[in-house]
Amino acid sequence: MKKITTIAASVALIASMSYAKEVKIGVVLPITGPLAAFGQTSNDGLKIAYAQNHTLKNGDTVKLIVLDDRGDKVEAATAVKRLINKNHVTAILGEVASSNSMAMAPVAEKAKTPMLTHASTNPRVTKGKKFVTRACFIDPFQGAIQANYAYDHGYKTAVIVTDAKQDYSVGVSKAFKKAYEKRGGKIVGRVIINSGDKDFNAQVSTIKAKNPSIVDFTGYYPEAALMVRQARAVGVKAPFIGGDGVGFPELIKIGGKAAEGFMYSDHFDEAAATSPVAKAYVKAFHAKYHKATDSMGALAADGYGMILAAMNKCKDPTDKICVNTNLRATKGYKGVTGVININKQGDAVKSGVVRVVKNGKFSYLTTVNP
Amino acid sequence: MDISTFVQQMINGISLGSMYALIAIGYTLVYGVLRLINFAHGDIMMVGAFVAYLAQNAGVPFELAVILAIIAAMVTGILTDKIAYKPLRNAPKISLLITAIGISFFLENLFNVLFGGVPRAFSAPDYLTKIIHYDGIIVPVTVIIIPVVTLILLFIILWILNKTKYGMAIRSLAFDIPTVKLMGINADIIIMLVFAIGSALAAVGGIFYAVSYPSIDPLMGVIVGLKAFAAAVLGGIGSVAGAVIGGFILGFTEIVVVAFMPDLGGYKDAFAFIFLILVLLFKPTGIMGQDLDRSRF
Repeated sequence: MKKITTIAASVALIASMSYAKEVKIGVVLPITGPLAAFGQTSNDGLKIAYAQNHTLKNGDTVKLIVLDDRGDKVEAATAVKRLINKNHVTAILGEVASSNSMAMAPVAEKAKTPMLTHASTNPRVTKGKKFVTRACFIDPFQGAIQANYAYDHGYKTAVIVTDAKQDYSVGVSKAFKKAYEKRGGKIVGRVIINSGDKDFNAQVSTIKAKNPSIVDFTGYYPEAALMVRQARAVGVKAPFIGGDGVGFPELIKIGGKAAEGFMYSDHFDEAAATSPVAKAYVKAFHAKYHKATDSMGALAADGYGMILAAMNKCKDPTDKICVNTNLRATKGYKGVTGVININKQGDAVKSGVVRVVKNGKFSYLTTVNP
Repeated sequence: MDISTFVQQMINGISLGSMYALIAIGYTLVYGVLRLINFAHGDIMMVGAFVAYLAQNAGVPFELAVILAIIAAMVTGILTDKIAYKPLRNAPKISLLITAIGISFFLENLFNVLFGGVPRAFSAPDYLTKIIHYDGIIVPVTVIIIPVVTLILLFIILWILNKTKYGMAIRSLAFDIPTVKLMGINADIIIMLVFAIGSALAAVGGIFYAVSYPSIDPLMGVIVGLKAFAAAVLGGIGSVAGAVIGGFILGFTEIVVVAFMPDLGGYKDAFAFIFLILVLLFKPTGIMGQDLDRSRF
């Protein structure tokens, strides 16, 4: 009996060596829960990129294992553990929310598995980590885009809205304050919210009393939509400016007329997409979903593309250390969202855009280079 | 802080407090009879809001959609009782409690699977979303309507409990179920009635919640359910009037923290719960609650 098992095992081993292998990439996204739009749009873009290319140079096939963490930090960390220990993935793509990526990072770091977050912008996500990389710019850049854009367009006094539960929001708030005051702008007030809250009447009444010329909203879209609505109801006239966390159709659907004029810094706008890669993505996206493209999807596509490029540079694409080294050494990667260079910290250095809600749609305002 | 901002913040307090009060009444009603903390209450509220949303999307006018939502919530409440709680009638209370949490997760995830987790915009007729401007102070009509509705519902419930035969049966059930059965009262029907009333209240609460904060998602009942539970405990769980008082206290606490201590605004929930702990330390049965074994509504 023992012999038979040994023979069977060696046959299986030879068989597995002679055929093209399957290389697994684990994906962790908030597909349900309060940040579901982040996960779902990311997944949409990922599907486009996967359909365009899922074969490595050496003939191996890439397999995606997508897990839903419901937007929860604990679930996100558990999902990474499962992907590494049970599914034996070579690399991990995700998450969107910085808080969740930060919960995942130590797990990936410990298991020496390369993790690429496509959309977490808080600097602390990659800080001190050797195996965590990102495909997007970081909050100091994003906060500076908002601050400079606001100040240069005549909005000289601001109230900052911070979501105390989100590391992303705390980071952007800090960056905005620094860049805005450096330019000469004045922060006249600060209000705190918690994600999951629905009543912001106390906060918007405070904003009204402070009478700023602009409101910097650094949280996410579910709160943005309700807050801007309640702000307009109590008579706050100042426009809102935010970050990439607000740019979702729900901002317009729930915010209604109140969302008009809401500006935000973002990663991608198809109006600014000129490269062949971006055009191909936009075309495939429109053909499949019949809706406008979004940043999260484009970033997820780039994150996936960067992992594939790194794998292609390795003799054995399942060699995690090699994939990680190449991922961290990414230079001049031509992605959907522009040219991506990874710096020493593992952060992407790339351009950003400013968009605005106009006539119930997201419109392109300008591109900002680093 | 100038006087108009102060008045505005007080109005905000009434608005939030009445919202909690409305939802807390349903919580306390079920508790009063079954000694069951129905953790699924917030989720039945969500079911109500979703049904109203779906009905409106199908072209049903708002008023009819509200009635459909109330009926759907009542059916959901009765079904959860029949399927989940009834088999455990003689089991320890802790089994019931865990089952209630299970039902809560089930409803949340069922709606997550059916409709996805992306928040949806809830539309309401103009007469409910109107805003009254008075001398620089802004009063949304819901701030007037919700407390009025809460009070009307409160009086209807107190009337049912104290003046009708069914109310008498409900109150006696709260004391001793086996004895009530011996008196020839069909206890299951009465408990069903309690769940129907409680769920109808949840649906009304859910719809007003969705009108005030027009964004609904399958997890919308979680936080507000927890707050309403805290309000019910604060007021003295089991006491309907206490639930209303508790709701207002909780709402005002949150608004006051944000309004007067903006830097600590992120901890408003913590303040609300610290306040709850303080009240319970000095009065373990809550503000209106009497001796736990004797208090009935």
